[in-house]
Amino acid sequence: MPPPNPTKGKAPPPLDYKPISSQYAAAKQAKAASEADHDRHVTLRERQREALEAARKKSYETRWLWTVGFWIWMLCIHLVGIAYFTSGFLLTRLILDEKSICDAPPTLNISSSPIHILPPWKGKGTVDGGCWHPKTFERAVIVLIDALRYDFTVPVGDDAAFHDAFPFMYDAAIRSPNNAFLRPFIADPPTATLQRLKGLTTGTLPTFVDVGSSFSGTAIEEDNLLMQLRDAGKRIVHLGDDTWDALFPGYFEGNLSRPYDSFNVWDLHTVDNGVVEHIFPLMGRTSEWDLLIGHCLGVDHAGHRYGPDHPEMTKKLRQMDTFVRDLAETIDDDTLLIVMGDHGMDSKGDHGGESDEEIESAVWMYSSRSVFGRTKPEFVTPPSTAKTRPVNQIDLVPTLALLLGIPIPYNNLGRPIEEAFSGPAGNSWGNLAAAERTAAAGLKRYQASYFAARNIEQATTPGSPTDLWNQAEDLVLDTKGKNKPDWAAVYSAFAAYQQETLQRCKSLWARFDLKNMILGIVIMALGVVALLVYVSRGEDDDDDIIDDPELDAAEKSLQMQGFKAEGEASPGEDLEKRMVSAALFGALPVLGGGLLQAYLSGVGDYHRGVGFAALTSIATVMVTLFESRETLFRLVPRTLWGWMAVVFTLSQSIGFASNSYTIWEDSILVFFITTFGFVTALFALRLPSLADRYLSIYHSVLFVLLGRLASFSKLCREEQMPYCTSTYYASATSSTSAPWQLAIPFLVVLILPSIVKAYLVPTRSYEGMAPTWISYAFRAGLFMSAVYWALDAVGNGNWIDGIPDKLLKNFSVYTAQTVLSLALVAGTTAFVWAPPCVSIITSATRAGHAQVTVLGYGNAHGARYLLLPLNILGACILLSKPMGGGALALMAWQILSLAEILDLNALTASPIGPVMLAVLGAFHFFTTGHQAVLSSIQWDSAFIPLFTLRYPWSPLAVALNTFAGQIVATTAVPLLVLWKVGPKKKGLLERVSRALGVLVAYYAVEALATMAWAGWLRRHLMLYRVFSPKFMTAAVALLVVDIVGIVVSLAGVRCNTMAISEVFGWAE
Amino acid sequence: MPLIDPVTMSSSIAKGAVAQAQAQAQVQSPSKGKEASWTLLPVQIKQTPAAQAARHSLPALLAALFVFRFDALVTDPVSTMITAIPAVAALQLGYALVCLPVVGSQTAKPGRKPRPGEKNLKKIVNSDGTSPNAPIATLLSLLLTLFSTPLLHAAMVLFGAPALSHTAHTLLCAAHLAVLALFPLFYAHGVDGAAWVALASFRAPLDEPFGGLAGALVGAWLGAVPIPLDWDREWQRWPVTILCGIYGGYLLGRVLGGTVGFGRRLAA
Repeated sequence: MPPPNPTKGKAPPPLDYKPISSQYAAAKQAKAASEADHDRHVTLRERQREALEAARKKSYETRWLWTVGFWIWMLCIHLVGIAYFTSGFLLTRLILDEKSICDAPPTLNISSSPIHILPPWKGKGTVDGGCWHPKTFERAVIVLIDALRYDFTVPVGDDAAFHDAFPFMYDAAIRSPNNAFLRPFIADPPTATLQRLKGLTTGTLPTFVDVGSSFSGTAIEEDNLLMQLRDAGKRIVHLGDDTWDALFPGYFEGNLSRPYDSFNVWDLHTVDNGVVEHIFPLMGRTSEWDLLIGHCLGVDHAGHRYGPDHPEMTKKLRQMDTFVRDLAETIDDDTLLIVMGDHGMDSKGDHGGESDEEIESAVWMYSSRSVFGRTKPEFVTPPSTAKTRPVNQIDLVPTLALLLGIPIPYNNLGRPIEEAFSGPAGNSWGNLAAAERTAAAGLKRYQASYFAARNIEQATTPGSPTDLWNQAEDLVLDTKGKNKPDWAAVYSAFAAYQQETLQRCKSLWARFDLKNMILGIVIMALGVVALLVYVSRGEDDDDDIIDDPELDAAEKSLQMQGFKAEGEASPGEDLEKRMVSAALFGALPVLGGGLLQAYLSGVGDYHRGVGFAALTSIATVMVTLFESRETLFRLVPRTLWGWMAVVFTLSQSIGFASNSYTIWEDSILVFFITTFGFVTALFALRLPSLADRYLSIYHSVLFVLLGRLASFSKLCREEQMPYCTSTYYASATSSTSAPWQLAIPFLVVLILPSIVKAYLVPTRSYEGMAPTWISYAFRAGLFMSAVYWALDAVGNGNWIDGIPDKLLKNFSVYTAQTVLSLALVAGTTAFVWAPPCVSIITSATRAGHAQVTVLGYGNAHGARYLLLPLNILGACILLSKPMGGGALALMAWQILSLAEILDLNALTASPIGPVMLAVLGAFHFFTTGHQAVLSSIQWDSAFIPLFTLRYPWSPLAVALNTFAGQIVATTAVPLLVLWKVGPKKKGLLERVSRALGVLVAYYAVEALATMAWAGWLRRHLMLYRVFSPKFMTAAVALLVVDIVGIVVSLAGVRCNTMAISEVFGWAE
Repeated sequence: MPLIDPVTMSSSIAKGAVAQAQAQAQVQSPSKGKEASWTLLPVQIKQTPAAQAARHSLPALLAALFVFRFDALVTDPVSTMITAIPAVAALQLGYALVCLPVVGSQTAKPGRKPRPGEKNLKKIVNSDGTSPNAPIATLLSLLLTLFSTPLLHAAMVLFGAPALSHTAHTLLCAAHLAVLALFPLFYAHGVDGAAWVALASFRAPLDEPFGGLAGALVGAWLGAVPIPLDWDREWQRWPVTILCGIYGGYLLGRVLGGTVGFGRRLAA
């Protein structure tokens, strides 16, 4: 027999898999021809083989679909569980539809013969004279400076960029106390603009649910200041932040108002300049409006983008100083000017939570007339910190309503601000007491209807609001009869009533729906149990799937002869199918019944059907699992590794019951990562081969060192102070990167592709598309993200004069878009079409036989799959800022080391692999500059690839930035299973699905634990600071992992198996 | 076609033969590795009355020393740990000299029936001038203990100990760990590679020194647990809890390793 043409085999490896497969087939045929001489027999066998391949492919595709079906069911269970718990946990408040009416003051209903503190005034009961209180101003100008923290407005005297740049308001309050006053203005958390605007106009406390809708505001339907003004025929003009438009659609004078996009945090000036430009002409046309709102966003955006301690912040505050100074000049005698912030900002310029710095804002009122007074002379100097004499933000509502002569909105809980009613001399106690009493009466009326609507009895015990109210009313009666009435005492009595009621309301609205919470926890818990049982199909089963090539060949030939394509099924192959059928069988009747019942009864509780459907479907799935002899007993770990997986998962989740362990989660994860590395290093000594020992120890030590190195990138949360130093940004009060940090992305460009290459070369897998994709495309993407961050720094620091901001922004946004399309669009396409990372060499042996050598055969699955996580990694590195990008590069390196460790120690089937991956994902959530607090969400990442807010891309960019660690970990799950696996391995899909199950189980246990703890500790002091944000982070992370697991990992495995089997034949 | 080589699939018969040989080697080598660690014998405490007395009294003394100095440790960890080091080292030195057989004195019993001629060979090696020498072994062990301290320090930093601050704290803590857990092992096993591989991979049979090491490591690991808690207690100060864990774990491990656990193996 002649040897095959040798020149063909020596040709450079082509990049497309079609040529390889045809080449391979040709080589195979040549070899077959050299061994067998009857051609007819060969063609017959060939045809049989093709039919078998097609049948195996079809069966694989079916199994894949059922597996995906199972994971979609799991996602649904998680969604329903989380939604149920959330609906009971996040505070709800009954919204009352009643509106206040001008000629029906609340003081009317409180007793049969109402006593009035003030004598009747002209126009009483009309908007012209003042509905419930004599009116003071005809119109008002409200300038809302977003994120104006109190200490920005008072002299501090240090070098911070954000101090002493906005002195006008403070100076004016001291210079002419009767014209102006400045006081701290305390926001009720959550400190997001949308919630704050609700509070500032309705006078009620916001509830937590509203946070989710911050991206797209919803109209306020409750009684509020703007509604009262509009109903009284007043004209409202709005300039600036368009959140107002979303909250008050159709309220504003269309021809005068100028709304601006609010979420473009990169843009510091457009909104402010727009407000300044349009407000001054309006000041000369006071007959055309009654309330003018100007909402400036520059300070907030400077905080988000740079952090407070940045020259841009100084500039912004100085601009505001000039603006307010000029505006005050134009104010006439009938106009009230209010300058205020809606919330503060934390030390890095973000907000959303309830730390002191986030809730401390400032309010300043100004009138050109002598109106304001102080009840004590020492009150003239504004407090030096926001801890003294603060005003609640809801207090603005009654104050403004009474000053403008409109009714106080029905749901208001605030009280009038003292300065505005105490008269220039500061002794108009009667006026003050009247205002306070009016507000308190409104509050009492609101309480009565609220309690009636909720069927709650009001307490009448001493010290209760009812008791305090009666005392105050008695005092009014007493005082009214006296010659020299002491209205100050009356004022204090009503103030005490208001404060007590506010406290009661706060605790009342911290009311949870226990039923829903428990149902949510039960659904989650059962879901976790079902997942664990599924996962625990155990290491034993793996041994059943025999990878003996000879056996496979025998099986193949049997199948070929018998020609039974579908007949053969490996154990548990159709488990997913049975489970999905069972889930549907269990869910559909109940879901249908629930919906029907809700429809018939008309209550609208459609969610109940969903909840019970989830429960019944879990039940049927469990029955299926038990039928196929999957039991919980298998879950008890039998090896050290199994125990480690359990300890890492459980101890962490149990620890979330303590605020300390939640706060220090990042350090605990380092501890676990190092523990794993040390144990693998020690156990490597048990490996028989010396080379394996050294390699395993090397990778273990590397794994630990890289983890510890990455742990230096962190962003401390407030509670970690003073034991923590933030390194993610240039300084603790900044949100830009330090110049030295810009070197990190360039280092990543240099090192990371070479590292990846180094992991592929030992298995000869740096073949096929790998060199092009890793050394050129991936590296180019990394280089462009490094360029992006360099440009960003140039823009932030104004390093080069003369470059227009716009040009720079254009250039960097297009760079970012190129990186993302390279990584996600081109990367996915390349991954789908890429040939296996192998090279086929056909040569002649000395004996004259044809010899086919496939370089990279041993890692055919793993090497090719690696391209997919690399693409996702590329996108995440761009969006994670320089420090985070460096941390993610270290994470990728760690994952590769982990894969090697697992392979060397024969742990690929152990749950410890996916659990460590989950730990890595959780850990790198922290190294990429996040914490389990709302304020650490890097909203500005939405504008890395975009100029303006666009759905769904902006939320997607923020999600990729926030959960980069978890996402990269999830996409790497199949890598652990496929690493160093040749093309003839069977049952890979099942193994991947189970490994994914372990990873999801880690996050599901965490979500379940944080959920249970948040529910259990719902009265804990730290609920909103620690437990609630941790629960939200864990729940969202779980859903992200579920989705990425389906959309990326499982889909990736399918593409990968297709491409490998296309070349090497179907083994599955 | 038979597919054999895991890296470069090759159908050549010659390659196949190599792989077969490798596979055979792999089948054999585990048993070899097992043999090396399996022959390691637990360290027997000397049978002298002094040794038996010291074996019980010294742990009690160590415990007493720790309890006695605990308050001082909490108020000023660094200087307390410095002053305690000589005392602890002296106790451990005494323990080693009185109770432990010095390296080389405890000849390995062959695990299987000796083949003819083998015993002779062993005897020759043993009598080849490497007779146990306690003073040299002590000095060497002390030196090794000293050298291993920075390594333990590095390990603690990897576990999350402060990298840049508190250097003295961490180093002293590492020194205590070395003197307690490593010094007796150095004294008993010297630099016998096979023995150390067996010890490090936790395949060695339990005895007092090894039990002490395992206990001290587990104790140190658990000692980190209370640190993050916000109880604001003085004793949560670095590295008091770790040191507590080390001492507690070491003493417990040493006592258990020498009694109930003696000769048992932690892992198969």
